Formats: sequence, C-alpha cells, structure tokens
Amino acid sequence: MTGTDRAWPWKILLAVILIFSAAAIWGSVKRIDYQWRWYRVPQYFLYEAEEPIKIPFDGVVEGIAVSGGDALVTLVSEDGEKQQVSVDNETVRVSQGEDLFEGDTIGYVYQWHAGPLLTGLWTTMWISAAASVLGLIIGLVAGLMKISKNYTVRSLAAIYVEIIRGTPLLVQIFIAYFFIGTVFNLDRNVAGVGALALFAGAYVAEIVRAGIQSIPKGQMEAARSLGMSLPQAMMDVILPQAFKRILPPLSGQFISLIKDSSLVSVIAITDLTKSGREIITSTFATFEIWLVVAAMYLIVTSILSQFVFYLERRLRVSD
Amino acid sequence: MIRAENVTKIFTGRGITVRAVDGVSTTVDKGQVVVIIGPSGSGKSTFIRCVNGLEMFNEGHVYIDGVDIADRKTNINKIRAEVGMVFQQFNLFPHKTVLENLTLAQQRVRRRKKKVAQEKARALLNKVGIAEKESEYPSRLSGGQQQRVAIARALAMDPKVMLFDEPTSALDPEMVGEVLDVMKTLAREGMTMMVVTHEMGFAREVADRVLFMDEGKVIEEGTPEHFFKSPQEERTKLFLKQVL
Repeated sequence: MTGTDRAWPWKILLAVILIFSAAAIWGSVKRIDYQWRWYRVPQYFLYEAEEPIKIPFDGVVEGIAVSGGDALVTLVSEDGEKQQVSVDNETVRVSQGEDLFEGDTIGYVYQWHAGPLLTGLWTTMWISAAASVLGLIIGLVAGLMKISKNYTVRSLAAIYVEIIRGTPLLVQIFIAYFFIGTVFNLDRNVAGVGALALFAGAYVAEIVRAGIQSIPKGQMEAARSLGMSLPQAMMDVILPQAFKRILPPLSGQFISLIKDSSLVSVIAITDLTKSGREIITSTFATFEIWLVVAAMYLIVTSILSQFVFYLERRLRVSD
Repeated sequence: MIRAENVTKIFTGRGITVRAVDGVSTTVDKGQVVVIIGPSGSGKSTFIRCVNGLEMFNEGHVYIDGVDIADRKTNINKIRAEVGMVFQQFNLFPHKTVLENLTLAQQRVRRRKKKVAQEKARALLNKVGIAEKESEYPSRLSGGQQQRVAIARALAMDPKVMLFDEPTSALDPEMVGEVLDVMKTLAREGMTMMVVTHEMGFAREVADRVLFMDEGKVIEEGTPEHFFKSPQEERTKLFLKQVL
C-alpha cells in the first residue's frame, strides 16, 4: 500500500479545516458589525472616465456627422483652420453653426483607465524586476568576491554583506532616500530600487558563494587542467552547475523581494501597498482592500514560484 | 619532455608541517611511459599534480618542453593545454553531454570551430569505444565509460604529455581492464605518459621506467625488469611483497 492510495480522507480533513477556519473568521467579522462593500472594489482596478473635449480656438461648428455612437464634429477657426473631433453622440453640447470660444466643451468621450490597484501592481512589479536584476548582478559580483584569494577583495564583500544583513530594510530605504538621495539628488524611484537591489544583493551573494563552494573541487581542476582560464572555467563549468543548485534559494529570495518592495511605500512610491492605503482613505473599505492587495501579491508570487518550478524540472535533464 | 628538479611541496596547517613531496627529481623523455607507485600518502599524487601546476610547489622546478612552469612569465594555461590530465574521480562536466565535454576546451582554449571540434571529439570517442554515447550525460555512463570519456577529453586538446592520477582506483574491478586497454593503446602509439597507479600489471607491461615513492621521496627508480625482479631497497621489497 502506498501513501497515495489513502489520500482522500486527508483531503477531506484538509477541506473541513479550511472551511471551518473560513467560517470562524466570517463569524468573528459578523460580531464586530463591519459593513462589507465589495462593490466599491472593482472600480479601483478599471474605471471608465468621462473626459471633456474642448475647442482649442475661437471658431464655428461647421458640421456634425453621426456614426454609430460617436459624433464627428467639424470645427473651423476664425483663421480658417479646420479640425475634427470625435465625442460620444449623447453628450454633444453644441449645434451646427454655433459660435464657440476657446475652451468651450463640445462633448465628452468615455475611456477605460487602469485604476490605482493595477497601476500600483505595475509599479510593484517593475520595481521588483529592476531590483531583482540589479540584485542578481550585485550578488554575483559580491559572491565571487567573497571566494577571492585576495584578502582585501574578500573583506570588502564580507563587510557589505554584514552591514546589509545586520540592518533593517526599512532603515536602509530611509537612508537611501533621505541621506544618500539628498546628497546625490536621487529620484525616489532610484533610491527605492537601489535600496532593494543592495538588500537582495547581500543575500544573493551568500547564496552564490555557497552554490559555487558546493561544486566539487575536481570540476575546477578538470577545467583548469584542460588549459581553461579561471574566468572561462567559472563561466562554462562552475557557474552553470552552481546556478542549477541555487535556483530554489534564489527564487525564494526574489519572492521575498517582491513582498519587501511594499516597504518602498514609505518614501511615497505609489506601489501596490501605497495604492491600497490611498484607496482606503477615500473608501474606508479597509478589510476589502487589504484582502485584495494581499491576494494580488499572492498571485504574483505564485506565478513566479510556478515558473521556477518549471525551470527546475527543465534543468534536471542532466541529473 | 618533462623535467622535475628537486620538487618539494610543503603542506602547513594547524601547526603541523608535512613535506608531502620532498625533493623529487625525474625526467620523462618523449615517448616514454613512467609509472609512479607507492603506498597511499607517499606523495605520488601530489607530485603528479605539481607537474601541471594544479598544486604549486614550494621549492624546485618543473620544466615542460624546457619551459619553467613556476616562472611568473609563463602562461600556465598554455602549458596545461599541452599536458592532458586524467583524474581518479573522472571529473567530467555533469551539465554537459559527452560530446560537449570533449568540445568545450577545444573551442574555448584551442579556438577551434564547433564543427572541427566535434569531428575531433567523435574520432576520439570512437577510439575509446563509446561513440554511441555522445549525446548522453555523464551520469548515465558507467565508471569505466566515464573514465574513457575523460581520457578522450584530455586527448582532444592534442596534448604532448598525458598525466594519469590513479585513473582506475575509483572503478569497479570489472571496469579496470577497459580503461587500462585504452592507456596501453596510447602508450603503444608513442604518447608520453606519467602514470600514478596501483596496477602493477600495467607497470610491468607498459612502463619504460618505474618510480617507487614513499614519504614524499623517490626511494627507488628503474626499469620494470629491475624493479620487480631485483629491487634493492628494503622498503621497495616490503611494498612489493604486500601488493603482489
């Protein structure tokens, strides 16, 4: 009998526990009399905005042509300059032959816009992506420095790693923005991405160092005995093998980085977390928004870990 | 081809100093096969690793084709490309296929075109008798097959000398023969070889000269004839009695 033969009782138990937990939370929330307003949430993903279309000069309405739901309004300026604008048919405020002054509203158009939750998510993603790439480069360099034979090089890397790992990320972000950012006149995005990259780099350095040192010494010796230089041996023999081994801890680090990027909201970068806070100040839908924000982080990190899982299986062919 | 003069390697650690190789001098002429034997810990592996600079020695000189390998002006990578080495643990690159194991250094070090390198690799795989495994990864091969690939990998660089560091010690007994056969073929073809081994049969059959090392020193040196039939030193006699 294998374990999988009798998996279903445990699956049922799991389902029961989850349902019970959900019910318990639900019950507790009921008791504090919270007004759920889920209907307020979707507009913060996508919303349709009404935008006024204005005449850019003093002139006359020459003609209005209707096609479908839109109205094509032809305007002629006092200098004879012609311009056509398209507005929603039901919002046309002018009639043919009417004299208009610059800035008068002709009608409105409706357009879909990404709400703060989506723009915040986008900010979170690009900040994390940029910090990950930079962090990987910094970590690779620092990791290689840590195994250098040269005392100075080795110590510099060790000091960097110790300082970063021994101080809170929040404080590092404050220092990056309010101290270093002020001295060098850095944009808040640069300071935020920089702080995250330096933070991730220190952890990546340790992962890289451990990964390289886990490759048997004979690999380097074999490569060198064939006449390959140290950089060649590193690039073609050691690092590809090390990369395969460090992929799981590395992906964990980058998933952490996505979550840690929420801290850049303290220097007024409008990432997903800050967007959530801003929405709450105008809706008071505290519970809904934080749950949605958490779910959005969870979706992004899950997609990333699934991708890494796939990558790991691909790389396993040579085992 | 190889000239070692008074090579000494000192290991220090935790207050203990060990002269792993203690003033070893020898020469290997072109086309010669020199076999080094001795008990474990005698410094024979350390010595052979000094010959291509994998281990940097503290005193003495090693000349490959007249070039001092410890000289600051010597490009050690260039020397190593001319000196093939086969390890006890094979040390094939596990993330590369058999064929890629043979082409990598050809392309990177010898700057050969991929096609040329692959042709060379296939010819050598054929020679060592594993042509059909070229697209396998090393982990799918038996120990004997892996070691033969390792020999082919070293040969792909067209080395002038081959160093073998206990090439059969990590193999199951039934696979020792196939590796020794490849080495014998090489010797017959006139390859200059330095071999550290425990295979006395191989030494007797193939060696032009046998070196017996113990405690970092060469105790006795001579033709296999002399060495196995009428050894002079007490320690040699004792060792031979134990292994034969």
